[in-house]
Amino acid sequence: MSEQFSRRDFLKLAGVGAATTAVLTGCGPASRYVKREPYMQMPEYNYNGQSTYYATTCRECAAGCGLIVRTSQGRAIKTEGNANNPLNLGKTCARGQATLHGLYNPDRVTDPLKRISRGGASTQVMEWDAAIQAVADALKDNQPEEIAFLMGMAPDHLFDLVSDLAKATGMNAPIRFGALGMFESRATLSKAAENLFGEASLPFFDVGGAQVVFSFGANFLETWLSPVSYTRGFAGLREARTKQRGKFVQFESRMSQTGGKADEWISLRPGSEALVALAIGRLASELRGGPIPRAFSNVDPLDAASKSGVKLERLEHLAEMFAGSKGALAIPGGAALGQSNGLAVAEAVLALNAISDNFGKPGGIYLSALAPNQTEYQRPASAKEMRELVQKMFDGKIKVLFVHGVNPLFELPTSLEFRGAIKYVSQIISFATFPDETAREADYVFPDHHGLESWGYQRVATGSAQPVLSGAQPVVSPYYNTRATADVLIAAAQLAGGTFAEALPFKDEVEFLQSKAASLMNAADGSISAADINTFMAYFQQHGGYWKLSDARGIPNAADVLNRTFSAEEAQFAGEGEFFFIPFVSPTLAEAGANKPWLQELPDPTTTVMWNTWVEMNPETAHELGIENDDVVKVVSEAAELEAPVYVYPAIRPDTIAMPFGQGHTAYGRYAEQRGVNPADLLGQHFNEAGDLAFAGMKVKIEKTGKKKPLSRLESLMGVYGIGLGEE
Amino acid sequence: MATLADLKISEVKLSEEQTGKWGMVIDQDICTGCQACVAACAMENNISFVGEEDSGYGRSMHWIRIERFWEGEYPEVKMTPNQPILCQQCGSAPCEPVCPVFATVHSQAEQLNLQVYNRCVGTRYCANNCPYQVRSFNWRDYERPEPLPNQLNPDVTVRRRGVMEKCTFCIQRIQKAQDQAKGEGREVVDGEFTTACAQACPASAITFGRVDDPESLVSRLTEQNYGVKHLEELGTLPRVTYFKGG
Amino acid sequence: MSEKKNHAEHAHGEEHLREKHLMLDPLPRGQMNEMVMESMQTTSWKFWVVFAILSVIVAYGLFYSWGVMIAEGLGVAGVNRPAYWGIFLVNTVFWIGISHAGTFISAILRVFKAEFRRPFTRAAELMTTFGLVQAGFSIFMHMGRVWLSYWLMPYPNQRMLWPNLHSPLTWDLLAITTYLLSSTMYLFLPLIPDVAMARDRSTGWRKTFYKILALGFRGTEGEWTHLRNAMGIFAWAIIPVMFSVHTIVSWDFAAATRPGWNSTIFGPYFVVGALHSGMGAVVMVLAIVRGTMKNMKYFIRPEHFDAISKLMLIISMAWAYFFFNDYMVQWYGGDKWTKQLMHFQEAGPMGWMWFAMLIFNIAIPWAVLWNARWRATPWIVFIVGLLINVGMWFERYIIIPVSLSINRMPFTWRLYEPGIEIPLGIGTLAFFILLYMAASRLIPLVPVWEVQEGQMAHELKKYGRETVVSVSELE
Repeated sequence: MSEQFSRRDFLKLAGVGAATTAVLTGCGPASRYVKREPYMQMPEYNYNGQSTYYATTCRECAAGCGLIVRTSQGRAIKTEGNANNPLNLGKTCARGQATLHGLYNPDRVTDPLKRISRGGASTQVMEWDAAIQAVADALKDNQPEEIAFLMGMAPDHLFDLVSDLAKATGMNAPIRFGALGMFESRATLSKAAENLFGEASLPFFDVGGAQVVFSFGANFLETWLSPVSYTRGFAGLREARTKQRGKFVQFESRMSQTGGKADEWISLRPGSEALVALAIGRLASELRGGPIPRAFSNVDPLDAASKSGVKLERLEHLAEMFAGSKGALAIPGGAALGQSNGLAVAEAVLALNAISDNFGKPGGIYLSALAPNQTEYQRPASAKEMRELVQKMFDGKIKVLFVHGVNPLFELPTSLEFRGAIKYVSQIISFATFPDETAREADYVFPDHHGLESWGYQRVATGSAQPVLSGAQPVVSPYYNTRATADVLIAAAQLAGGTFAEALPFKDEVEFLQSKAASLMNAADGSISAADINTFMAYFQQHGGYWKLSDARGIPNAADVLNRTFSAEEAQFAGEGEFFFIPFVSPTLAEAGANKPWLQELPDPTTTVMWNTWVEMNPETAHELGIENDDVVKVVSEAAELEAPVYVYPAIRPDTIAMPFGQGHTAYGRYAEQRGVNPADLLGQHFNEAGDLAFAGMKVKIEKTGKKKPLSRLESLMGVYGIGLGEE
Repeated sequence: MATLADLKISEVKLSEEQTGKWGMVIDQDICTGCQACVAACAMENNISFVGEEDSGYGRSMHWIRIERFWEGEYPEVKMTPNQPILCQQCGSAPCEPVCPVFATVHSQAEQLNLQVYNRCVGTRYCANNCPYQVRSFNWRDYERPEPLPNQLNPDVTVRRRGVMEKCTFCIQRIQKAQDQAKGEGREVVDGEFTTACAQACPASAITFGRVDDPESLVSRLTEQNYGVKHLEELGTLPRVTYFKGG
Repeated sequence: MSEKKNHAEHAHGEEHLREKHLMLDPLPRGQMNEMVMESMQTTSWKFWVVFAILSVIVAYGLFYSWGVMIAEGLGVAGVNRPAYWGIFLVNTVFWIGISHAGTFISAILRVFKAEFRRPFTRAAELMTTFGLVQAGFSIFMHMGRVWLSYWLMPYPNQRMLWPNLHSPLTWDLLAITTYLLSSTMYLFLPLIPDVAMARDRSTGWRKTFYKILALGFRGTEGEWTHLRNAMGIFAWAIIPVMFSVHTIVSWDFAAATRPGWNSTIFGPYFVVGALHSGMGAVVMVLAIVRGTMKNMKYFIRPEHFDAISKLMLIISMAWAYFFFNDYMVQWYGGDKWTKQLMHFQEAGPMGWMWFAMLIFNIAIPWAVLWNARWRATPWIVFIVGLLINVGMWFERYIIIPVSLSINRMPFTWRLYEPGIEIPLGIGTLAFFILLYMAASRLIPLVPVWEVQEGQMAHELKKYGRETVVSVSELE
């Protein structure tokens, strides 16, 4: 070979080959097209290739789950649950996982901004010194009672700081609000607890210890109160390996994700929940023998059956199930409470528990433990209280409104007129991390750090037997020119001087946190203790918080429950129209997830729809109206009208339609904007007796539009519904 | 001429293939369909999101998906138990032999189906031949605008367009745990680490571990007689056991 | 030759026989050569218009669209989960099918010494080569990372990585490459005497071109012997290669675990299907060549359409037989998913295609081609051939994307909607025609030496009042 084929020839050919290969390979994009620049000033505790783990608290909802965040070279890579935190025991929900898409979201507020004119798009970047001066001016140039703080349900440390400031200076006490709280009807729950047990508290339902669970609308596997903890409870209920498999019955008019897991799903007419609960109570009492307690005596099961649409035999069967179990538990929640008779429903369902006398017993109802540095239950504002704030704004009594951690222009129904009211407020200062609807209307946006860049703590309101104070610490240094709102307020208070400076005599946020944690340092029964505050805080950060070691749940005083009388009245519905309207919180997006692309791409657990809003409609109804999947319909309520595509949903009453809440942003970044609609816009100004919004108390009309918008679904219409497979 | 010794070797090989090494048990009765595993998987494995249009056209990149069907008609309608479907890490995987360039290969050491992204040329034959339909293809270079790439897991390759991908049983975690154990001169302890989906699952419906270790939790669960393996009749030797419950 | 005898019995004399049969209608060799040269060199403006239009289609449909797809990814096409394969593979199988007929007609008929083959073997062989080029385009388009397609080749490399010989795709690649090489050689061998003829009758660049191609062929006895030997070997050898190619293509599907694909009869079913579409394509090409090119009415006569049509009819019957066989056994097997798939194929959204396939592939050929007058009419046969090709394309479409829509995981079932496949597919069709048109200007479409050879072997003899055709044994 060497004779005919010289080395030179070989090299030539090889060169051609190599060039061809290089050209072909070059057709692909540069393989390093994802840029990960070296971290120029890497913190000294970081080693290349080694991860560092930090304990902190999840801020995607107010539950306060502990997180362990894996960081590598100064970047947050992955969140996991903190296995030590008694609330979530190492678990997270989808939103907790996707919190990193908030941290590294391409649409964050990067610098303090001053808006050129209210409502306009153009802004001016400010220096933080000027920003703090602006806050200080706002504080001292107005009467304290003209200053209001509107805050989200997290974080608690900032709420404490503002509360202290307000107490010392005479400012309005901070008002907390969140759409999740609104849809959970927290005021109704605590009012019902107060009426029945004499104590305004958030009831704790020990699902895991129960044998039979009757849930009246409670969506406890989705976003309700503390979803991770309740999901663990549900797994405990179903745990067939160690004990008998517990049964679960869900009463609702539209099958929720929670209802999808029920052994028996009972479709009832919206508004008849109290009636059904009392009827089951009566039937169960009859089965148990003895006199019918007064609580259930004035309800007629036959009447309940006809009004609710649940057959009498079914009620009897359910009553048998409830009465026959040693550990039966009834939970009120969800849409059942968001009706004009919501309080009555909550009371009736809580009273049903008296049948199995489970108060303060495993598998029963407790009162949630107060967090370690908490003296009384604090609940977020009800919609009615928000309406009172709006009225004060209209009346010109509020000159300065600070907004943090909440997006009222999206979360609050339009009919509560927040948008109109802000015109009467001369200065709005938002501390939003993301450019949300409210920040867009604010005169100043002084962006707070993302939760993973922040110090703080969150009190665990419910979900854990032990009192828990979940601790937060920055897991990465702030990515943008943002500043902790606590620091801004402390600095501004110093600048403002007087009572403001006296109220917040701290160097910075960390010192404030220390002052709040100091009392726990040597408290009995604590998970950590230390001789000095610095050591204690180090432990506090390291373990992701502080918790008591023993169960501190309250035992409801239920002695009198069966002797009370309960209203079995049905709910009133506002508006004209043939359909009951059930808005529900999207289990994957909740109220603030829409800007996180991977949350958008998570299929909804019931419909598998991604990236959009839909209207759920019973197949029979759809057939009668000549509506098919993906047909866009107009939903008309007394307050507004919206257009969204139909999802023909097999598990909803024919007289009911439902829509998920979570989309429909007009601001909030590229992944959220102009995507879907916000069903909260349809809601009118109707409250229940506890002041919570009667969000499920509307009737609506449906109009066809003739348009079509294919919904993005993970499931196959052919495989799941047999649509498009051809006639059989 | 096969000697007795040869026979024994082949028997050992067969049984290793039969049992596998890593396995998973998924309890459908307690799976709530909450999608935490899906999100955790996406975050751990640098999975792209594809946007509304592509995800609605069967192009989403989920490595794990939760299936649910319906039974009966309103009002006696029921959702079937949520069924998380991920790569079953078959012992005899239909995807493996069909790849012309050995991009999808069997790991003898870990008894897993590997996907070698760098080697993949995108014929998509493996995906056609996967009875579980768990392979995702990078139809485009899906955009991940700055600063989102900061979140990328440095232990997992970022895939570009034209490449097949699928669940790996978080092999980066397996390797890390094994390296750690090796450095400390010991075996990996059951429960020392787990996959991203199992770790996140709020209901603890997913259990991961060594199926060849009879003492491990996953083995003890697998042995309970009500477990089902999907499409086992095809002879794929799947490593994921499902409990239907109910 | 009983057929010819039959004709002779009904003949109205010699004139009629000559008019009907090319082999009995000899022209002087020089004149025939000139006719072929003329047909190659006479180019009307219409040719250039069509050529230009096709060039634009190729530039946009094939090269630009492919460039876009390489840059953007396969997302611009319609493939998805579960239809990971779409029109690209439909076209691949389709073009390989087209390429079958060329070799089939040429090799099998040559081996069986079917005389009617003589004027159109070249036209058919060209189809093979150009069809395979389109198949190659289609399969490369289909790849996610086409710039790495050389990884499919067994080339020595530092990491000792070889292609996976377990994979039907590797078999495919080897089989198609073998087929492309051998069919190109098989095209080339009979071409040598013709280009030598053209060399001697042309000037300028054409002369240089033909000189190179002719490899110095002068027509000596020794050269003819070698050529005949080589052609004999290739004609025999290429037949199993041809069978293997489409059988292996069918194994891409048959070897998979999918319902509807896993069928033992796919090998012969695909081979016959390929012949079906290929024969259809041959008659279409012949009809166009006869209708548009100068002097071609002399070479290609109704008798050829008649003969090919009979073959088409037989192949259609064979295809129907295999189709029924496959259908029957799959249906009788009763597998849940297969039954679901079969129902979907017939009654689903693409059901019209399933029925159209049966009508085009079976009903129409059977209804038309039994009639001797119809099957000798070029335009009628052209339409039948066109419909068969459409029907066979539908068949592949049903086997690939439609069948992929249904699998064992109903949660993932989804329809396939083509995207950029359409311009790309049209691009390959245009490129095929373009190549053919270019070839018709450059190489003699009629193997003139073969015609002359045949004409020399045929003689009309008179036994009393009977005119009888006599054929002398050639080789």
